Amino acid sequence: MFQLLQAKAVDNSGIMVQQGKIYLVMTIVTIILVGLFIYVASVDKKITALENNAKD
Amino acid sequence: MLRARWWKILSIILLVYTCTYGFLVKVPKLDDRLQESIRNFFFHVPMWFGMMILLFVSLVYAIKYLRAANPVHDTYSMAYASTGLLFGFLGIVTGAFWANYQWGSPWVGDPKQNGAAIALLIYFAYFVLRGSLIDTEKRARLSAVYNIFSFFMLFPTLWILPRLTESLHPGGQGSDGNPGLNGKDMSANMRTVFYPAVIGWTLLGVWISTLHIRVQLLKLKKEGLL
Repeated sequence: MFQLLQAKAVDNSGIMVQQGKIYLVMTIVTIILVGLFIYVASVDKKITALENNAKD
Repeated sequence: MLRARWWKILSIILLVYTCTYGFLVKVPKLDDRLQESIRNFFFHVPMWFGMMILLFVSLVYAIKYLRAANPVHDTYSMAYASTGLLFGFLGIVTGAFWANYQWGSPWVGDPKQNGAAIALLIYFAYFVLRGSLIDTEKRARLSAVYNIFSFFMLFPTLWILPRLTESLHPGGQGSDGNPGLNGKDMSANMRTVFYPAVIGWTLLGVWISTLHIRVQLLKLKKEGLL
């Protein structure tokens, strides 16, 4: 099963497997980065809400 | 400034650019030693730049605290020191990982490595000091003084001693210039990613620091200390 899946992935000539699969690495790093940013932005938002509460 | 949005968006744009174009930009192929790993320059080196900038900001607020004894300045100083230390820690871990494949061992006792480790340990003591004092005013005053000392320890540990001896890093004895930032050594292509990377990572550090600060200020307000 896994061998089959792997064989399929190797056959794929899409952009993710060109240039030594560097685009794949790039995409994964970008996903992590975007995830981190979403997290930091949400913490930021929560603190803003707390600050607004404290003002009232 | 703490709640302004434009520089946070700038940080996102710069880092998305770094993490995409950083993998695509053409890097020079000198010999087979570094290969593609020179791209670490966009990730490992900005950690140190970010650390130095954040620790400098921390120093400025430590001095400000000593001048005015305002607890807000102490809060700023602590937050920037902790994010700076985080960056330094990430720098040392990524460096060890890179060194493992580049120099054959995660820790080769390179003067830059040793110096950075000493500098980080000195800053660790800043937090030990903070943690060991209960009286807020005394804690703020003593840690501000110690903060100034630890920043100036960066001069010998990071900026002077490693350049006087032979080093595996760029910029040791016999190779002129700055270990991280040697404009003439870096290809123009790489510079188009490197400088935005430094700014982007630093802004992210500032962002995280401001979150620390805002939570701490809320706490101070709640306790009626502000």
